[in-house]
Amino acid sequence: MSIASDLAVQNQDSMELVFKQVRKKQKIKSFIKGILFLSPSILLFSVFLFYPMLRTIYLSFFLTDASGSTTVFVGWQNYINLFTSPVFLKSMMSTFLFVLYTVPVTVIISLFLAVIANEKLKGVGFFRTIYSSSMGISVAAASVFWLYLFNPSMGFLNMIVEALGFEAIGWLTDPAWALVSISITTIWMNIGFTFLILLGGLQSIDSYLYESADIDGAGYFYKLRRITIPMLSPTLFFVITVTIINAFQTFGQIDILTQGGPANETNLIVYSIYREAFVNYQFGSASAQAVVLFILILLMTAIQFKFGERKVHYQ
Amino acid sequence: MRKLLSILMLGLVLFIAACGTEGEAEETAGDNTEEAETTSSDSAEEANEESGEKQTVTFWHSMGGAGQEAIDEIVAGYNESQDKVQVNAEYQGTYDESLTKFNAVAGSDSAPTMIQTFEIGTMSMINSGQIVPIQEFVDADNYDMSGLEENITNYYSLDGTFYSMPFNSSTPVMYYNKDAFEAAGLDPEAPPETFEEVEEVSRAIVESNPEMKGFALQAYGWLWEQLLANQGALLLNNDNGRTDTPTEIGWTEEEGKSIFNWVKNMVDDGTFANYGTNGDNMVAGFLAEDVSMFLQSSASSRDVIDNAPFEVGIAFLPHPEDKERQGVVIGGASLWMIDGKPEAEQQAAWDFMKYLQTPEVQAQWHVGTGYFAINPAAYEEQIVVDAHTEMPQLKVTVEQLQATESSYATQGALMDMLPQGRKVMETALETVYNGGEVDAAYNTAVEQFNAAIEQANAARGE
Repeated sequence: MSIASDLAVQNQDSMELVFKQVRKKQKIKSFIKGILFLSPSILLFSVFLFYPMLRTIYLSFFLTDASGSTTVFVGWQNYINLFTSPVFLKSMMSTFLFVLYTVPVTVIISLFLAVIANEKLKGVGFFRTIYSSSMGISVAAASVFWLYLFNPSMGFLNMIVEALGFEAIGWLTDPAWALVSISITTIWMNIGFTFLILLGGLQSIDSYLYESADIDGAGYFYKLRRITIPMLSPTLFFVITVTIINAFQTFGQIDILTQGGPANETNLIVYSIYREAFVNYQFGSASAQAVVLFILILLMTAIQFKFGERKVHYQ
Repeated sequence: MRKLLSILMLGLVLFIAACGTEGEAEETAGDNTEEAETTSSDSAEEANEESGEKQTVTFWHSMGGAGQEAIDEIVAGYNESQDKVQVNAEYQGTYDESLTKFNAVAGSDSAPTMIQTFEIGTMSMINSGQIVPIQEFVDADNYDMSGLEENITNYYSLDGTFYSMPFNSSTPVMYYNKDAFEAAGLDPEAPPETFEEVEEVSRAIVESNPEMKGFALQAYGWLWEQLLANQGALLLNNDNGRTDTPTEIGWTEEEGKSIFNWVKNMVDDGTFANYGTNGDNMVAGFLAEDVSMFLQSSASSRDVIDNAPFEVGIAFLPHPEDKERQGVVIGGASLWMIDGKPEAEQQAAWDFMKYLQTPEVQAQWHVGTGYFAINPAAYEEQIVVDAHTEMPQLKVTVEQLQATESSYATQGALMDMLPQGRKVMETALETVYNGGEVDAAYNTAVEQFNAAIEQANAARGE
């Protein structure tokens, strides 16, 4: 009897062992399978993202010659120089101001446009096309277009200002105006994309919500506040995140409109990186700036997800 | 949402990476010029098919506008003049942009055979180790460089060695509106010569026509360097970096500040027109009669004279009253032979460079643009004589150059941080244009300029 039960236990043990082995094998198999599926993206990311990223961090600890090869190891000196340099601090300051000027205005204007373009009216398709049209214009083309509007001698904007009896404004040469001018350009360029995404968000809100609100006798603004905005919050959240990141990375309009001037007033951080690397050939300190920018955006986005997402209502 | 975040993050990383590493720099540069390159490479391919066994030479240049037209014409003339070499001229954006692209492709097959680089890039080209000194070809060929304008050979020969072939050279001049001078009761044939006279004339102009400003100075480091040299001041110590590696700035406080104070006076008078760093807007303002005088490279003379609806005068660069005029530094660019190309290709490029020095080509170049002829024999050519009779203004640039006293100051500075130094001075100038204090702006600029020199010396790791 005892032998038999022993045997049974043994049998059970070996059964379990075999079972475990099979499971392990399967696990390895599915792991390899998974890696196989992932390998194209891992490979691509390594070549185009992880390697350059590591290389940027590596470079930020060195001084380089004009071709970008490292010459002297300086440790944290590039970072120390950055945070004691008035030029870099100013560029950080301008960047934050720029984000502050552009993001809320872009989102509010596009939200307004999206809400009115969401009404079921005759010919609303035409307006939707117009409102989103700035999305189809490249940064370079839009900047050149604005460059002419801002032109001090024959610009349209100064003509209006002068016709109204004010003194001409140095849109791109007056430090008080330059960042505002760049912001106006950027807002105009971003509205198309933001509008389109928000309109898409509005249209996916179920109409029965509005119907029941109508039955309950809710007014237009009540519905807007209690149904539209909460239901739109995931889209709004996405739009705000993207606009902020875009604002931090603004480059094209600066390069074409002001080249960082007047007196570094519009020297936003990405432009400052470009100038440091490709005009001054200081790849080390440019890399350090890039790392700082990366950490900055990472933090901003993390904060947003921590606090902003709480208010987001997912259906 | 999470997935979206990670995609965004990765996208960001890619962007950052593109700014940081040399390999990626190529990508960025490539994007910027996609358009330009498609057109030029298309025509290059066509040319290759046609020519068959012809030796192809790729020539990167930075001449836009009238300069590009002139250069295309010259290259076409060369390609037709013989049947062994086919030169493909490719516009690569400004000197800065072109140099950036070159640094990205240097040593690879995509590198050009020859490249045009601005004068302040001289030192960084030599330090890059990617070039063959032109002297080797001069010696092998027993080519005579002594026919070239003396002031030009002064700039480009270092200890008697030519590293690059001079090509397009210009000096800064003062453009003025003769009609406006007349309207203000001034003599249009006697333009102001000193800082003080410029201030005075500016006041007279504004008085007679409140719609017009007196004077404009583009915030451009090159012009600042020229105004300095015209006082006989050095930009860098150790004789402008020509006797030893510079360790700090070479000008005195009095010399440096005189320019800032001059501008400040006009800003306070309300006679100064501020166009920031944008030279095109300044020229547009001049043509629209918004401003009566401005400083700019003589290379624009042809463009300005042709487009102005009024009589344009061209004068020498002004100087402070208490200083003698010393003259100007050669501006412009030279041609570099790139290392690592097959012997035959380099010889073909050398042949093209020699062609560019001939009086006929230089005459065509001078008349077409306003750059002066680096080969003085060109001034004897009939088209130049004709052009000078028709547009005597073109002569001013030549006269100014020939009146220049040869010294370390007017030979110009040599160092690899000069582009950075220019940005520093531009920022300081803009601060003053917008009402900033001269002392504060000047001191910050000097501090940053010195820091840039120090950084550049440290980065060389010597």
